[in-house]
Amino acid sequence: MRNFLPLLGKELRALFYSPIAYIIIAVFLFLMGYSFTLTLFLNKFATLIHIFFQSAGLLLLLIPIITMRLFAEERKAGTLELLLTAPVRESQVVLAKYLASMAVVLAMIALTGAYGIVLGMFGSPDWGPIYSGYVGLALLASTLVALGLTISALTSNQVVAAIVTIGISFLMWTIDSLASMMPEGLERILISLSLLAHFTPFATGALYTSDLGFFVSSTLLALFLAMRALARR
Amino acid sequence: MTPIIVAEHLTKYYGACLAVDRVSFDVRANEVMGLLGPNGSGKSTILRILTGYLRPTSGTASVAGYDVVTHGLEARSQLGYVPEDVPLYTQMRVSEFLEFMGRVRGLGSARLPAAIDEVVERLSLGSVRSLLISKLSRGYRQRVAIAQALLGKPKLLVLDEPTNGLDPRQIIEARELIRTLSRELSIIVTSHILAEIERVAHRVAILLDGKLLSVHTLGAQGANTRLRVRLGSADEAAVRSHLNSVPGVSIVEAVPTLGIYILDSANGTADAIRALVQGGFAVEEVSATGSGLEELFLRLTEAAGK
Repeated sequence: MRNFLPLLGKELRALFYSPIAYIIIAVFLFLMGYSFTLTLFLNKFATLIHIFFQSAGLLLLLIPIITMRLFAEERKAGTLELLLTAPVRESQVVLAKYLASMAVVLAMIALTGAYGIVLGMFGSPDWGPIYSGYVGLALLASTLVALGLTISALTSNQVVAAIVTIGISFLMWTIDSLASMMPEGLERILISLSLLAHFTPFATGALYTSDLGFFVSSTLLALFLAMRALARR
Repeated sequence: MTPIIVAEHLTKYYGACLAVDRVSFDVRANEVMGLLGPNGSGKSTILRILTGYLRPTSGTASVAGYDVVTHGLEARSQLGYVPEDVPLYTQMRVSEFLEFMGRVRGLGSARLPAAIDEVVERLSLGSVRSLLISKLSRGYRQRVAIAQALLGKPKLLVLDEPTNGLDPRQIIEARELIRTLSRELSIIVTSHILAEIERVAHRVAILLDGKLLSVHTLGAQGANTRLRVRLGSADEAAVRSHLNSVPGVSIVEAVPTLGIYILDSANGTADAIRALVQGGFAVEEVSATGSGLEELFLRLTEAAGK
């Protein structure tokens, strides 16, 4: 723990001192604000379901930009050697980067809470789906951050890390579309791997432990793989 | 006294490529051990194994009694490491960086400020303490890297090619620093420049193609009677026949293709130089080689090449 806090502090500083985090948050909030306002004026329903799906789509694009530099930059600059030859564990390094990135993403998601407040002030929304939608977004973000972290640990090229993460994220988002064309056993596997299939219940107000388990276990698996990718070979 | 480093049969493969081949050596307390060898001889790989960045394919290594694989965390807490290209977090200020590295090394708030002040003073970093590392010259970056390695008073300092990219004045300063530090801790330092190692190390391990050819104690052989000369376009037979006629001068080692001769001049090195000039040879370079290291290096690498 004594070694972990300085690692976390360094990652938070690196993320919040760079303009990238603020640009990403600004772009995300602008697009979401535009979408929220437009939809609200058109259909006049006190709901955030469309915001949750659009946010999820944007997270698939924006999270890889946050995570691409985490290890790729350190590997390229050689500072990974400095870090891993200090008396710290790989798990501490991975966890510090994961938590710092999650802090940025959760701050970004939390700022959209303003839309909920607006709905509450001028209407009477059903709060259940709003709460579950935010839980879903946080869980989806967790899986995407862990995935981006793993890919970043495998390369020293940030652009490669970002593109591969976006590719895998989109594939995992839409992989259930392929399911109907597959034999029955494979169909079930593909659906169970789909981010969209597990996110949809959260966005629509249904909480299933299986969906929760999917996001938690996929996050843990990806963090484990990131540690393996860093492991001293 | 227990050695600080004990490496036994260290072997490292990168895929199918053998980088380090059954290397065994030790480093004693307050000793400067030099790893000498051409580029690609396995020096940096050995350091990366000792510092826990890489795992050996086989063999064992320990730092201050801790195995670098099974007790990696404890072993790493006993050493400070300056990698070859001096990687630093360039977006940090010098003071921020030292604070971060100090905390990572487990220094608490009570000990950290004094520890930072000490290394800042020792490495003369006071004037750049609040500057961004990205604004520093190569020489200052090297000092910052050494400063972070000294935080927490490690028992072992690991320096990979510490004089690379430094100007002559900085090289002399680095050399002096290594000499001073060796009074307090053990140092393992790599270089492909023989003269550098010769000036700072107590013992030298000579490596070629991943193999340890010899461990040589410096200062033990032929002090002050040997010199290295480089002759321009000279026929080896002519050089030998001329020097054979000069009393007290003999050829210890010769690499005729490079025009390099290691001479022993029992009555003082001036005799040999005078004899060569009088013999009409174009003496292009002369240097003292008091330790006999160059001679040994040439002999070993040539023998290994054959």
